[in-house]
Amino acid sequence: MAASIIETTGLTRSYGDICALKPLDLLVPEGEWLSVMGHSGSGKSTFMNLVGGLDRPTSGSLQVGGENLLALSEDGLARFRREFVGIIFQQHHLVPYLTAVENVMMAQYFHSVPDEAEARFALERVGLGHRLKNRPGELSGGEQQRVCIARAIINSPKLLLGDEPTGNLDHKSTIMVMELLKELRAEENFTVIMVTHNQEVAAWGDRTIYLDDGILVREERLVKTDEG
Amino acid sequence: MIAIVYKLIPHLLSWFCIVLVLLRCFSVRRSVIMIAGISGFICGVADSAVLFRFFSASTSYAVIKSALGASFFLFWTIAVVAVYRSGERSTTVSSRARWFDSSFSAGVISAFIAIVSGAICACRIPVVDSGALTYAVPVLAAISLAYASLCIEKRISVSFKAAPLGAFAAVVALLLFSSSSLPRLDLFSPLSMKVMKGVHDFVHQFMESILIPDHLFVKPIVWKYIGLLFGKEVGFWGGIIIWFTPVLLIALAIGSARLPSVAHIRQGAQRRKLLAAAIREQRLQLVIPFFSIVIFAGAAYQSSFPSVEYWDPTPVAVTANQAGEIFIPKTGEINLEDGKLHKYLFKQGTREARFFILLGPDGQLTVDLDACAICKPDGYGQADGAVLCYYCKTLIPLETVGKPGGCNPVPISFIEKGDGVAIDGITLINSWVSTVQATTRVTEGGK
Amino acid sequence: MKRLLRIMLAVGSSRAVPPVVIGLFFVFYIGVAFFTDETLITLMAFTRRSVILAAILALIPLNSLFRLVSETIRQRDVSRIFSGKTLSGMAELCDDVVELPPCRIPDIEGRLAAVGYNTRRIGSTVSAWRGVGLFPARLLFLAGTFCLFTGILVSTTTKSAQRQMVTEGEPFPTPNGVGGIVERIILAQSTGLFLKRTLTMEVAASDYGTGKKTFGLYPPGLYDGAFVYPRYLGLTLHFRFSAPDLPTEYETSYSLNAYPPGKEDSVAIPDSPYRIVFSVPVPDVGEELYVSYLTDTVTLQFKLLKGKDVLFTGTAPRGGEFVRDGYRLSLPDIRRLVVTDFISDYGVLFIWWSALLFAVAVCIWLPVRLFLPRRLMVFRSDDTGAVACSLAEGGMRKHAGVFHELLDFVDAKNKGGKDDCQ
Repeated sequence: MAASIIETTGLTRSYGDICALKPLDLLVPEGEWLSVMGHSGSGKSTFMNLVGGLDRPTSGSLQVGGENLLALSEDGLARFRREFVGIIFQQHHLVPYLTAVENVMMAQYFHSVPDEAEARFALERVGLGHRLKNRPGELSGGEQQRVCIARAIINSPKLLLGDEPTGNLDHKSTIMVMELLKELRAEENFTVIMVTHNQEVAAWGDRTIYLDDGILVREERLVKTDEG
Repeated sequence: MIAIVYKLIPHLLSWFCIVLVLLRCFSVRRSVIMIAGISGFICGVADSAVLFRFFSASTSYAVIKSALGASFFLFWTIAVVAVYRSGERSTTVSSRARWFDSSFSAGVISAFIAIVSGAICACRIPVVDSGALTYAVPVLAAISLAYASLCIEKRISVSFKAAPLGAFAAVVALLLFSSSSLPRLDLFSPLSMKVMKGVHDFVHQFMESILIPDHLFVKPIVWKYIGLLFGKEVGFWGGIIIWFTPVLLIALAIGSARLPSVAHIRQGAQRRKLLAAAIREQRLQLVIPFFSIVIFAGAAYQSSFPSVEYWDPTPVAVTANQAGEIFIPKTGEINLEDGKLHKYLFKQGTREARFFILLGPDGQLTVDLDACAICKPDGYGQADGAVLCYYCKTLIPLETVGKPGGCNPVPISFIEKGDGVAIDGITLINSWVSTVQATTRVTEGGK
Repeated sequence: MKRLLRIMLAVGSSRAVPPVVIGLFFVFYIGVAFFTDETLITLMAFTRRSVILAAILALIPLNSLFRLVSETIRQRDVSRIFSGKTLSGMAELCDDVVELPPCRIPDIEGRLAAVGYNTRRIGSTVSAWRGVGLFPARLLFLAGTFCLFTGILVSTTTKSAQRQMVTEGEPFPTPNGVGGIVERIILAQSTGLFLKRTLTMEVAASDYGTGKKTFGLYPPGLYDGAFVYPRYLGLTLHFRFSAPDLPTEYETSYSLNAYPPGKEDSVAIPDSPYRIVFSVPVPDVGEELYVSYLTDTVTLQFKLLKGKDVLFTGTAPRGGEFVRDGYRLSLPDIRRLVVTDFISDYGVLFIWWSALLFAVAVCIWLPVRLFLPRRLMVFRSDDTGAVACSLAEGGMRKHAGVFHELLDFVDAKNKGGKDDCQ
């Protein structure tokens, strides 16, 4: 049994009177691919924001990678996000006037120092070795999302968070992106938490939890066959 | 007393910063720094008091100025060594670094710096009518400020380190800033003057060495540019270069130090993290050298525009009698024996000469041209214990006024006749003309 | 003995020698400055007289020679390492050395070529390089330093100078005797970049076997082992003077220090109260100052003094005569003259060479360092293990990035495909 990378006990997040996440107890083992499903407003993104250090819980405890996120200062939380977490959003949030390689280097810059060779290599790994000098506008949706993956993994995160990363992609691109994430996870052994509406996307994970109105209502562990 | 305290402000401010820098540099030896620093400061004040009481002012200033000069020279040496060593990759802690980290070295270095600092501070206290109480003022202030430094230093983030090189730069800068407010301890102006003379000598020798044709063959515009090397500005800018170069070298040495080798690490993010940490530390280490540059600039500014007001009377026109003799009475409207510099202007036809009469500390009158044999005849002003050449800012102690040579005013022979001073007009005019012709030729770039 | 030789080579080729020697001379300079205003000249005179000071100064050119040798050896060793011939000295000579587990070096040439490196695979060694080496510029710099300080040393210790008057129609004076007749001295206007006027001295062949020669201003010519360095212009004046109270006519030739025009030079008539002050009239405003010398049409102003009294003043051209009240002054001949220094100093040749070498070194170093610095890396493997090392003379961060990525790549291949490994 792998050690847990995420441990929550009674994790809650309220916005005024609205309780977006009700007391949640959850363990995520290191290296697991966890899919989080639920309808809009069910607390999926709230949960992801909390474990990614983008938001602070209202109550409960939250341990990520041995760090008690509640105890971290703003600087500590920023360091945690910088060094521990990689995030892929539905919208790519790439800088439009920078090339693919420069977009990746920007993530390096905010982490430590830029290294062009490493950024090129990261883009080669996501199959964009031939699109290094193209700007986001010159890339397809799938390619843009692959740049985002390269950007998310460039700082070797222990935890990769995906918030509907394939939400804007067609079926073929979705498959390509998911295949890529699977390969990278196999190489880098990072933990994936993937928030999605899509049952097919969720099926790429090891386990799926279902949230409804901020409450964990169901949990499914997927049994993998050799064919996937 | 209040006037003394007011005058002590720049020195005590420098002392405060020196202690702060030393404490941060030797942050694990705070108690040693405090004890050695305070003892050193008291010792410096006492040394200065003894020097001024038992030796002449010139000797006393010369001793303290020599210590400052030696510090600056040492600073230059260390800066050059630092640059030479900056490309090396250090793998082990050298014995030099271990020595530097010891309590003994921290104590010795702090004590020496504090002695110089205390001695400079005590130069502000007038020798006459100063009792032990007067000397207690800077000592008590220095102790209080040292403790204030200690309190502040403890509150500064531990990530802000003072590398020994940067700390040394800051300490030298602060000592020179402290001394620059005392014209007789100032190093920048004499340095500029020496540079002016040195460059003049060097360019002259260089041109002769490589057989460059003389100015009659060279285009005036070219010669004008060569002539720039003979001007007063070259002294100033050359002085600026010598003044700032060591601290810039130290910044260069810190900035160009090799980053740690990370090639053995097989994860890019980890490599970059280590490099970023090393770069960050390097940048933090540059803060103190850049602060030192500002302090050096302040010292050079204080030196170039001293707050001291010079006694510079308007020359009084005098004439010669039929025998060509100029007679100036000792008393009357002007009292020649009041210890002040008195300027006169003598005109003969189209020619004129400016000169001054001064009663020296030895009780003897001296008559001198208001010009020296080296600089343009910008004249002299009188400050505490010295006259100053306005052109090159050299201070001439009153004891040596009347002696020929260097930047001293050119002495003129005269006869003391009971109630006045008699000077030969022709001798005066000839002396002025030959001096001014020579110095004008030099400063205008003639070879 | 060998150890001693090695120590001597290490000390002699130390980078510390030039700053230490320069610093030492600077200390001497400061010391001398306390005693005299002629500091540099005094220090040069000391160096000329003192064998110890000269020997200390000689350490710099010696050090340059040692460094030329040691850096050439170093360069050879670097080349050997990066061509994969040897592994010895890697730790000292390379920026980064990384040991890898025994493994066949995978195909990295394509990756290297993509980022501009040239590659070569020989057996189990892959070498990669790009840019141009700074070594030639470094060699030139060291040679320049050698020449500069040798020049200063030679010049300081052996220079000798003699000031002579070169006069038209007279034999050319030299430090070791006399040369051919000076046929013409020509001062001409110049439109050059640096010179306003040029000066040419044409000397006929001498009886001692020296051929016809022409001396200009720069670079100065050599005559009889000495540089001919024209300094000032003047006139050689031949005049006769008689006065009512002088028993005989006085006749002499005199080298007149008369330029620039307006400058007065006086000749005292021996055994008499007479003195004649000569000067070349100042031309009108806007006219060439040296027009009289350029055109060889001199009219001299003169002033006859008896004691302090001025008896009369006047002007007279070459061949002219002035007669009044029994006084007679005639100027049968006025010739052009150049006050010339004959300088025996071979150090200057070294200094010129150093300037040339430094200029070429900078012209190579600057563009190469900025745009094409040398970057090298080598991956080598054998049965005992694999090793990779890199070196960059510029663009270090980028080069290191490429090197690190290749190491990651090799490592990944090594872990990923065991069949790649030996």
